[in-house]
Amino acid sequence: MTYFSYFKAECLVLFRRKQNLVNALLFFALVIVLFPLGVDPSKAFLAPAAGGIIWCAAALATVISLESMFKEDYADGSLEQLLVSGLSISWLVLLKVLVHWLGMIIPLLLLTPIFSEMLFLPDGVLGVLMTTLLLGTPGLFLIGSIGASLTVSLRQGALLMLLLILPFYFPIIIFSTSAIQAVASGLPYSGLLAIIGAISLLALVMSPLMTPICLKASVR
Amino acid sequence: MQSNISLTISDLWIERGDRDLCKGFSLTATSGDIIHILGDNGAGKSSLFKTLFGLVSPVEGEVQLNGEDVLSYRDPLLKQSLYISHALGLKSVFTVLENIRWYFPKVSEADIARVLSLLKIEGYLDVPIKALSAGQTRRVALARLWLSDLPVWFLDEPFSALDMVSIQLLEGRIREHAEQGGIVFFTSHQPVTLLSPRRVELTA
Ligand SMILES: Nc1ncnc2c1ncn2[C@@H]1O[C@H](COP(=O)(O)OP(=O)(O)OP(=O)(O)O)[C@@H](O)[C@H]1O
Ligand SMILES: [Mg+2]
Repeated sequence: MTYFSYFKAECLVLFRRKQNLVNALLFFALVIVLFPLGVDPSKAFLAPAAGGIIWCAAALATVISLESMFKEDYADGSLEQLLVSGLSISWLVLLKVLVHWLGMIIPLLLLTPIFSEMLFLPDGVLGVLMTTLLLGTPGLFLIGSIGASLTVSLRQGALLMLLLILPFYFPIIIFSTSAIQAVASGLPYSGLLAIIGAISLLALVMSPLMTPICLKASVR
Repeated sequence: MQSNISLTISDLWIERGDRDLCKGFSLTATSGDIIHILGDNGAGKSSLFKTLFGLVSPVEGEVQLNGEDVLSYRDPLLKQSLYISHALGLKSVFTVLENIRWYFPKVSEADIARVLSLLKIEGYLDVPIKALSAGQTRRVALARLWLSDLPVWFLDEPFSALDMVSIQLLEGRIREHAEQGGIVFFTSHQPVTLLSPRRVELTA
Protein backbone atom coordinates (compact mmCIF):
# COMPACT_ATOMS: atom_id res chain seq x y z
CA MET A 1 0.00 0.00 0.00
CA THR A 2 1.27 3.48 -0.82
CA TYR A 3 -0.21 6.92 -0.23
CA PHE A 4 -1.01 7.21 -3.91
CA SER A 5 -2.71 3.81 -4.15
CA TYR A 6 -4.73 4.72 -1.07
CA PHE A 7 -5.75 8.01 -2.64
CA LYS A 8 -6.84 6.25 -5.82
CA ALA A 9 -8.76 3.65 -3.80
CA GLU A 10 -10.54 6.39 -1.84
CA CYS A 11 -11.57 8.14 -5.06
CA LEU A 12 -12.89 4.86 -6.42
CA VAL A 13 -14.83 4.17 -3.22
CA LEU A 14 -16.36 7.64 -3.38
CA PHE A 15 -17.36 7.01 -6.96
CA ARG A 16 -18.84 3.57 -6.24
CA ARG A 17 -20.67 4.93 -3.20
CA LYS A 18 -21.81 8.10 -4.98
CA GLN A 19 -25.31 7.62 -3.61
CA ASN A 20 -24.05 8.90 -0.21
CA LEU A 21 -22.85 12.08 -1.82
CA VAL A 22 -25.98 12.46 -3.90
CA ASN A 23 -28.08 12.08 -0.75
CA ALA A 24 -26.12 14.79 1.02
CA LEU A 25 -26.49 17.16 -1.95
CA LEU A 26 -30.18 16.36 -2.19
CA PHE A 27 -30.50 17.23 1.47
CA PHE A 28 -28.65 20.50 0.81
CA ALA A 29 -31.10 21.33 -1.98
CA LEU A 30 -34.15 20.36 0.09
CA VAL A 31 -33.21 22.53 3.06
CA ILE A 32 -32.76 25.50 0.77
CA VAL A 33 -36.00 24.91 -1.09
CA LEU A 34 -37.97 24.53 2.15
CA PHE A 35 -37.09 28.01 3.40
CA PRO A 36 -39.03 30.03 0.79
CA LEU A 37 -41.86 27.48 0.96
CA GLY A 38 -42.07 27.26 4.72
CA VAL A 39 -41.20 30.76 5.90
CA ASP A 40 -41.65 33.50 3.36
CA PRO A 41 -41.01 33.56 -0.38
CA SER A 42 -40.71 37.35 -0.58
CA LYS A 43 -37.49 39.02 -1.65
CA ALA A 44 -37.53 41.21 1.45
CA PHE A 45 -37.11 38.18 3.69
CA LEU A 46 -34.92 35.99 1.50
CA ALA A 47 -32.33 38.46 0.25
CA PRO A 48 -30.71 39.18 3.63
CA ALA A 49 -31.09 35.56 4.79
CA ALA A 50 -29.82 33.86 1.63
CA GLY A 51 -26.17 33.54 2.67
CA GLY A 52 -27.06 32.13 6.06
CA ILE A 53 -29.53 29.63 4.60
CA ILE A 54 -26.99 28.33 2.11
CA TRP A 55 -24.32 28.07 4.79
CA CYS A 56 -26.51 26.17 7.25
CA ALA A 57 -27.62 23.79 4.52
CA ALA A 58 -23.99 23.22 3.52
CA ALA A 59 -22.96 22.52 7.11
CA LEU A 60 -25.78 20.00 7.64
CA ALA A 61 -25.05 18.32 4.32
CA THR A 62 -21.42 18.03 5.37
CA VAL A 63 -22.36 16.27 8.59
CA ILE A 64 -24.56 13.87 6.64
CA SER A 65 -21.87 13.03 4.13
CA LEU A 66 -19.19 12.59 6.81
CA GLU A 67 -21.15 10.42 9.19
CA SER A 68 -20.32 7.24 7.27
CA MET A 69 -16.77 8.32 6.43
CA PHE A 70 -14.98 5.53 8.33
CA LYS A 71 -17.93 3.16 8.84
CA GLU A 72 -17.27 0.80 5.96
CA ASP A 73 -13.51 0.76 6.52
CA TYR A 74 -14.19 -0.13 10.11
CA ALA A 75 -16.59 -2.95 9.26
CA ASP A 76 -14.53 -4.65 6.55
CA GLY A 77 -11.23 -4.50 8.41
CA SER A 78 -9.49 -2.12 6.04
CA LEU A 79 -9.22 0.46 8.81
CA GLU A 80 -7.27 -2.10 10.79
CA GLN A 81 -5.06 -2.70 7.76
CA LEU A 82 -4.44 1.05 7.43
CA LEU A 83 -3.38 1.22 11.07
CA VAL A 84 -0.89 -1.62 10.65
CA SER A 85 0.29 -0.59 7.18
CA GLY A 86 3.27 1.35 8.51
CA LEU A 87 2.09 4.44 6.60
CA SER A 88 1.39 7.56 8.62
CA ILE A 89 -2.25 7.41 9.57
CA SER A 90 -2.37 11.21 9.79
CA TRP A 91 -1.56 11.52 6.10
CA LEU A 92 -4.05 8.81 5.22
CA VAL A 93 -6.74 10.70 7.14
CA LEU A 94 -5.84 13.94 5.34
CA LEU A 95 -6.05 12.18 1.99
CA LYS A 96 -9.44 10.77 2.87
CA VAL A 97 -10.71 14.18 3.98
CA LEU A 98 -9.33 15.71 0.79
CA VAL A 99 -11.20 13.20 -1.39
CA HIS A 100 -14.46 13.70 0.51
CA TRP A 101 -14.06 17.47 0.48
CA LEU A 102 -13.39 17.59 -3.26
CA GLY A 103 -16.36 15.32 -3.90
CA MET A 104 -18.60 17.71 -1.99
CA ILE A 105 -17.22 21.18 -2.73
CA ILE A 106 -17.24 20.86 -6.51
CA PRO A 107 -20.99 20.15 -6.85
CA LEU A 108 -21.65 22.60 -4.01
CA LEU A 109 -19.89 25.43 -5.84
CA LEU A 110 -21.77 24.53 -9.01
CA LEU A 111 -25.14 24.53 -7.24
CA THR A 112 -24.61 27.67 -5.16
CA PRO A 113 -25.07 30.23 -8.00
CA ILE A 114 -28.37 28.57 -8.93
CA PHE A 115 -29.68 28.58 -5.37
CA SER A 116 -28.46 32.09 -4.63
CA GLU A 117 -30.44 33.25 -7.66
CA MET A 118 -33.48 31.49 -6.23
CA LEU A 119 -33.01 33.09 -2.79
CA PHE A 120 -32.48 36.61 -4.24
CA LEU A 121 -28.91 36.85 -2.94
CA PRO A 122 -27.94 40.53 -3.48
CA ASP A 123 -25.76 41.30 -6.48
CA GLY A 124 -22.04 41.17 -5.87
CA VAL A 125 -22.32 38.92 -2.83
CA LEU A 126 -22.08 35.63 -4.68
CA GLY A 127 -18.29 35.90 -5.01
CA VAL A 128 -17.83 36.32 -1.27
CA LEU A 129 -20.28 33.50 -0.54
CA MET A 130 -18.29 31.16 -2.79
CA THR A 131 -15.04 32.31 -1.14
CA THR A 132 -16.37 31.65 2.36
CA LEU A 133 -17.51 28.20 1.24
CA LEU A 134 -14.10 27.50 -0.25
CA LEU A 135 -12.30 28.71 2.87
CA GLY A 136 -14.71 27.37 5.48
CA THR A 137 -15.72 23.92 4.28
CA PRO A 138 -12.20 22.45 4.69
CA GLY A 139 -12.62 23.29 8.37
CA LEU A 140 -16.03 21.63 8.45
CA PHE A 141 -14.63 18.45 6.90
CA LEU A 142 -11.51 18.32 9.07
CA ILE A 143 -13.51 18.83 12.27
CA GLY A 144 -16.12 16.38 11.00
CA SER A 145 -13.49 13.69 10.54
CA ILE A 146 -12.71 13.87 14.26
CA GLY A 147 -16.38 13.34 15.08
CA ALA A 148 -16.72 10.54 12.54
CA SER A 149 -13.71 8.73 13.94
CA LEU A 150 -14.99 9.05 17.50
CA THR A 151 -18.35 7.51 16.66
CA VAL A 152 -17.19 4.96 14.08
CA SER A 153 -17.78 1.94 16.31
CA LEU A 154 -21.25 3.03 17.41
CA ARG A 155 -24.25 1.77 15.54
CA GLN A 156 -26.38 4.85 16.20
CA GLY A 157 -23.57 7.36 16.18
CA ALA A 158 -25.05 9.95 13.81
CA LEU A 159 -26.80 12.09 16.37
CA LEU A 160 -23.93 11.88 18.83
CA MET A 161 -21.55 12.99 16.13
CA LEU A 162 -23.80 15.91 15.29
CA LEU A 163 -23.88 16.99 18.94
CA LEU A 164 -20.12 16.61 19.26
CA ILE A 165 -19.03 18.59 16.25
CA LEU A 166 -21.79 21.16 15.71
CA PRO A 167 -20.49 23.51 18.44
CA PHE A 168 -17.19 23.63 16.57
CA TYR A 169 -19.03 24.51 13.38
CA PHE A 170 -20.60 27.61 14.94
CA PRO A 171 -17.59 29.94 14.57
CA ILE A 172 -17.15 29.03 10.90
CA ILE A 173 -20.85 29.57 10.19
CA ILE A 174 -21.00 32.81 12.19
CA PHE A 175 -17.94 34.37 10.57
CA SER A 176 -19.03 33.27 7.10
CA THR A 177 -22.49 34.76 7.40
CA SER A 178 -21.04 37.92 8.95
CA ALA A 179 -18.71 38.25 5.98
CA ILE A 180 -21.66 37.92 3.63
CA GLN A 181 -23.68 40.49 5.59
CA ALA A 182 -20.67 42.82 5.68
CA VAL A 183 -20.22 42.77 1.94
CA ALA A 184 -23.97 43.23 1.40
CA SER A 185 -23.90 46.38 3.51
CA GLY A 186 -20.68 47.64 1.97
CA LEU A 187 -18.43 47.06 5.00
CA PRO A 188 -14.89 45.62 4.85
CA TYR A 189 -14.93 41.84 5.08
CA SER A 190 -11.39 40.66 4.36
CA GLY A 191 -10.62 40.33 8.07
CA LEU A 192 -13.54 37.93 8.46
CA LEU A 193 -12.29 35.85 5.54
CA ALA A 194 -8.89 35.70 7.23
CA ILE A 195 -10.50 34.42 10.43
CA ILE A 196 -12.38 31.71 8.52
CA GLY A 197 -9.13 30.68 6.84
CA ALA A 198 -7.39 30.64 10.21
CA ILE A 199 -10.04 28.35 11.69
CA SER A 200 -9.64 25.97 8.77
CA LEU A 201 -5.87 26.03 9.23
CA LEU A 202 -6.27 25.26 12.91
CA ALA A 203 -8.49 22.34 11.96
CA LEU A 204 -5.84 21.24 9.47
CA VAL A 205 -3.42 20.96 12.36
CA MET A 206 -5.80 19.42 14.90
CA SER A 207 -7.58 16.87 12.75
CA PRO A 208 -4.51 14.80 11.76
CA LEU A 209 -3.53 14.71 15.43
CA MET A 210 -6.92 13.83 16.89
CA THR A 211 -8.47 11.58 14.25
CA PRO A 212 -5.76 8.86 14.42
CA ILE A 213 -6.07 8.75 18.22
CA CYS A 214 -9.85 8.29 17.96
CA LEU A 215 -9.49 5.67 15.23
CA LYS A 216 -6.98 3.68 17.29
CA ALA A 217 -9.33 3.83 20.24
CA SER A 218 -12.18 2.48 18.11
CA VAL A 219 -10.36 -0.42 16.44
CA ARG A 220 -9.70 -3.07 19.06
CA MET B 1 14.56 -10.64 2.24
CA GLN B 2 16.46 -10.08 5.43
CA SER B 3 17.32 -13.52 6.80
CA ASN B 4 18.24 -12.91 10.41
CA ILE B 5 15.24 -11.45 12.13
CA SER B 6 14.28 -12.12 15.68
CA LEU B 7 11.11 -11.25 17.51
CA THR B 8 11.15 -11.51 21.28
CA ILE B 9 8.08 -11.23 23.44
CA SER B 10 8.82 -11.14 27.13
CA ASP B 11 6.47 -11.20 30.11
CA LEU B 12 3.53 -9.95 28.12
CA TRP B 13 0.39 -9.39 30.16
CA ILE B 14 -2.80 -8.74 28.24
CA GLU B 15 -6.03 -7.92 29.97
CA ARG B 16 -9.38 -7.40 28.31
CA GLY B 17 -12.54 -6.45 30.10
CA ASP B 18 -11.06 -7.33 33.53
CA ARG B 19 -10.01 -10.78 32.34
CA ASP B 20 -6.38 -11.80 32.07
CA LEU B 21 -5.81 -13.33 28.64
CA CYS B 22 -2.17 -14.09 29.23
CA LYS B 23 0.23 -13.17 31.97
CA GLY B 24 3.97 -13.61 31.77
CA PHE B 25 3.76 -14.76 28.17
CA SER B 26 7.20 -15.08 26.61
CA LEU B 27 8.26 -16.24 23.20
CA THR B 28 11.25 -15.89 20.94
CA ALA B 29 11.03 -16.41 17.20
CA THR B 30 13.89 -16.21 14.76
CA SER B 31 14.17 -16.54 10.99
CA GLY B 32 12.74 -19.79 9.75
CA ASP B 33 10.33 -20.28 12.64
CA ILE B 34 6.72 -21.26 12.14
CA ILE B 35 4.68 -20.78 15.28
CA HIS B 36 1.21 -22.17 15.79
CA ILE B 37 -0.64 -20.28 18.53
CA LEU B 38 -3.21 -22.52 20.17
CA GLY B 39 -6.00 -21.80 22.60
CA ASP B 40 -9.72 -22.16 23.12
CA ASN B 41 -12.18 -19.69 21.67
CA GLY B 42 -11.70 -16.48 23.56
CA ALA B 43 -8.28 -17.49 24.88
CA GLY B 44 -6.79 -14.34 23.42
CA LYS B 45 -5.00 -15.40 20.23
CA SER B 46 -6.41 -12.56 18.15
CA SER B 47 -5.85 -10.18 21.06
CA LEU B 48 -2.18 -11.22 21.15
CA PHE B 49 -1.74 -10.23 17.50
CA LYS B 50 -3.62 -7.01 18.04
CA THR B 51 -1.40 -6.19 21.00
CA LEU B 52 1.72 -6.61 18.89
CA PHE B 53 0.28 -4.20 16.34
CA GLY B 54 -0.75 -1.66 18.92
CA LEU B 55 -4.49 -2.09 18.48
CA VAL B 56 -4.79 -3.35 22.06
CA SER B 57 -2.53 -2.03 24.83
CA PRO B 58 -0.89 -4.58 27.12
CA VAL B 59 -0.75 -4.08 30.87
CA GLU B 60 2.95 -4.78 30.85
CA GLY B 61 5.60 -6.62 28.91
CA GLU B 62 8.15 -6.07 26.20
CA VAL B 63 8.32 -6.84 22.52
CA GLN B 64 11.57 -6.53 20.65
CA LEU B 65 12.32 -6.84 16.97
CA ASN B 66 16.01 -7.45 16.39
CA GLY B 67 16.68 -6.19 19.89
CA GLU B 68 14.77 -2.97 19.35
CA ASP B 69 11.76 -2.17 21.52
CA VAL B 70 8.67 -2.04 19.29
CA LEU B 71 5.93 -1.54 21.87
CA SER B 72 6.57 2.17 22.30
CA TYR B 73 7.68 2.86 18.74
CA ARG B 74 5.99 0.40 16.40
CA ASP B 75 7.17 1.50 12.99
CA PRO B 76 9.96 -1.10 12.61
CA LEU B 77 7.51 -3.92 13.31
CA LEU B 78 4.77 -2.49 11.08
CA LYS B 79 7.18 -2.03 8.20
CA GLN B 80 8.33 -5.67 8.46
CA SER B 81 5.07 -7.47 9.02
CA LEU B 82 2.00 -8.57 7.25
CA TYR B 83 -1.14 -9.09 9.29
CA ILE B 84 -4.27 -10.84 8.07
CA SER B 85 -6.94 -10.76 10.73
CA HIS B 86 -10.44 -12.23 11.00
CA ALA B 87 -11.68 -9.16 9.15
CA LEU B 88 -9.90 -9.52 5.85
CA GLY B 89 -9.55 -5.87 4.91
CA LEU B 90 -11.05 -6.24 1.45
CA LYS B 91 -13.38 -3.56 0.14
CA SER B 92 -16.73 -4.96 -0.87
CA VAL B 93 -17.29 -2.28 -3.52
CA PHE B 94 -14.05 -3.25 -5.27
CA THR B 95 -13.43 -6.06 -7.68
CA VAL B 96 -10.81 -8.70 -6.95
CA LEU B 97 -8.23 -6.94 -9.11
CA GLU B 98 -8.96 -3.51 -7.60
CA ASN B 99 -8.51 -4.90 -4.12
CA ILE B 100 -5.15 -6.39 -4.99
CA ARG B 101 -4.06 -3.27 -6.86
CA TRP B 102 -4.89 -1.20 -3.81
CA TYR B 103 -2.48 -3.23 -1.67
CA PHE B 104 0.15 -3.75 -4.37
CA PRO B 105 0.18 -0.83 -6.80
CA LYS B 106 3.64 -1.71 -8.08
CA VAL B 107 3.30 -5.44 -8.73
CA SER B 108 3.07 -6.34 -12.42
CA GLU B 109 -0.10 -7.64 -14.09
CA ALA B 110 1.70 -10.88 -14.90
CA ASP B 111 2.59 -11.57 -11.27
CA ILE B 112 -0.97 -10.90 -10.14
CA ALA B 113 -2.32 -13.17 -12.88
CA ARG B 114 0.13 -15.93 -11.88
CA VAL B 115 -0.85 -15.77 -8.19
CA LEU B 116 -4.56 -15.60 -8.90
CA SER B 117 -4.41 -18.62 -11.18
CA LEU B 118 -2.42 -20.48 -8.52
CA LEU B 119 -5.26 -19.71 -6.10
CA LYS B 120 -7.89 -20.63 -8.71
CA ILE B 121 -9.53 -17.22 -8.77
CA GLU B 122 -8.18 -16.13 -12.14
CA GLY B 123 -11.69 -16.19 -13.58
CA TYR B 124 -12.97 -13.66 -11.04
CA LEU B 125 -10.65 -10.73 -11.72
CA ASP B 126 -13.43 -8.28 -12.44
CA VAL B 127 -16.02 -9.70 -10.09
CA PRO B 128 -16.93 -7.59 -7.04
CA ILE B 129 -15.69 -9.07 -3.77
CA LYS B 130 -19.24 -9.29 -2.43
CA ALA B 131 -20.13 -11.72 -5.22
CA LEU B 132 -17.54 -14.30 -4.10
CA SER B 133 -17.97 -17.24 -1.74
CA ALA B 134 -16.41 -17.17 1.73
CA GLY B 135 -13.48 -19.35 0.71
CA GLN B 136 -12.90 -17.42 -2.49
CA THR B 137 -12.88 -14.15 -0.54
CA ARG B 138 -10.31 -15.56 1.85
CA ARG B 139 -8.16 -16.67 -1.07
CA VAL B 140 -8.16 -13.13 -2.42
CA ALA B 141 -6.97 -11.90 0.97
CA LEU B 142 -4.33 -14.64 1.11
CA ALA B 143 -3.03 -13.66 -2.33
CA ARG B 144 -1.08 -11.03 -0.39
CA LEU B 145 1.17 -13.81 0.93
CA TRP B 146 2.42 -14.50 -2.59
CA LEU B 147 2.74 -10.86 -3.61
CA SER B 148 4.32 -9.27 -0.56
CA ASP B 149 7.97 -9.40 0.45
CA LEU B 150 7.49 -8.67 4.15
CA PRO B 151 9.36 -11.13 6.38
CA VAL B 152 7.12 -11.50 9.43
CA TRP B 153 3.61 -12.86 8.99
CA PHE B 154 0.76 -12.88 11.46
CA LEU B 155 -2.12 -14.95 10.14
CA ASP B 156 -5.27 -15.16 12.25
CA GLU B 157 -7.18 -18.33 11.30
CA PRO B 158 -5.88 -18.38 7.73
CA PHE B 159 -7.27 -21.84 7.06
CA SER B 160 -10.89 -21.18 7.93
CA ALA B 161 -13.33 -21.54 5.03
CA LEU B 162 -10.63 -22.98 2.74
CA ASP B 163 -10.99 -26.29 0.88
CA MET B 164 -8.41 -29.10 1.18
CA VAL B 165 -6.44 -28.09 -1.89
CA SER B 166 -6.16 -24.48 -0.79
CA ILE B 167 -5.14 -25.49 2.72
CA GLN B 168 -2.25 -27.52 1.30
CA LEU B 169 -1.30 -24.70 -1.01
CA LEU B 170 -1.25 -22.27 1.91
CA GLU B 171 0.74 -24.64 4.11
CA GLY B 172 3.22 -25.01 1.28
CA ARG B 173 3.54 -21.24 1.01
CA ILE B 174 4.07 -20.88 4.76
CA ARG B 175 6.84 -23.50 4.66
CA GLU B 176 8.47 -21.86 1.66
CA HIS B 177 8.41 -18.49 3.42
CA ALA B 178 10.05 -19.92 6.52
CA GLU B 179 12.71 -21.64 4.40
CA GLN B 180 13.48 -18.27 2.83
CA GLY B 181 14.15 -16.83 6.28
CA GLY B 182 10.77 -15.44 7.24
CA ILE B 183 8.82 -15.89 10.44
CA VAL B 184 5.20 -17.04 10.45
CA PHE B 185 2.80 -16.84 13.37
CA PHE B 186 -0.57 -18.39 12.76
CA THR B 187 -3.60 -19.49 14.73
CA SER B 188 -5.72 -22.40 13.73
CA HIS B 189 -8.19 -24.72 15.41
CA GLN B 190 -7.56 -27.48 12.87
CA PRO B 191 -4.25 -29.36 13.04
CA VAL B 192 -1.91 -28.69 10.13
CA THR B 193 -0.72 -31.63 8.05
CA LEU B 194 2.26 -30.56 5.96
CA LEU B 195 3.93 -28.29 8.48
CA SER B 196 5.57 -29.15 11.76
CA PRO B 197 5.24 -25.82 13.56
CA ARG B 198 6.28 -24.95 17.08
CA ARG B 199 3.11 -25.09 19.13
CA VAL B 200 2.50 -22.40 21.70
CA GLU B 201 -0.49 -22.73 23.95
CA LEU B 202 -2.13 -19.58 25.25
CA THR B 203 -3.55 -20.01 28.74
CA ALA B 204 -4.50 -17.46 31.32
N1 LIG C 1 -13.35 -5.64 21.05
C1 LIG C 1 -13.33 -6.27 22.24
N2 LIG C 1 -13.62 -5.60 23.36
C2 LIG C 1 -13.60 -6.18 24.56
N3 LIG C 1 -13.28 -7.49 24.76
C3 LIG C 1 -12.98 -8.21 23.68
C4 LIG C 1 -12.98 -7.64 22.35
N4 LIG C 1 -12.66 -8.61 21.47
C5 LIG C 1 -12.45 -9.71 22.21
N5 LIG C 1 -12.65 -9.49 23.53
C6 LIG C 1 -12.51 -10.47 24.60
O1 LIG C 1 -11.17 -10.89 24.66
C7 LIG C 1 -11.09 -12.28 24.85
C8 LIG C 1 -10.16 -12.88 23.80
O2 LIG C 1 -10.68 -12.69 22.51
P1 LIG C 1 -9.88 -13.10 21.22
O3 LIG C 1 -10.63 -12.61 20.06
O4 LIG C 1 -8.48 -12.65 21.39
O5 LIG C 1 -9.94 -14.67 21.32
P2 LIG C 1 -9.36 -15.76 20.30
O6 LIG C 1 -8.39 -16.58 21.08
O7 LIG C 1 -8.87 -15.13 19.08
O8 LIG C 1 -10.65 -16.62 20.03
P3 LIG C 1 -11.13 -17.36 18.68
O9 LIG C 1 -10.52 -18.69 18.70
O10 LIG C 1 -12.60 -17.46 18.87
O11 LIG C 1 -10.75 -16.52 17.53
C9 LIG C 1 -12.51 -12.82 24.78
O12 LIG C 1 -12.88 -13.18 26.09
C10 LIG C 1 -13.35 -11.68 24.31
O13 LIG C 1 -14.55 -11.63 25.02
MG1 LIG D 1 -9.49 -15.06 17.13
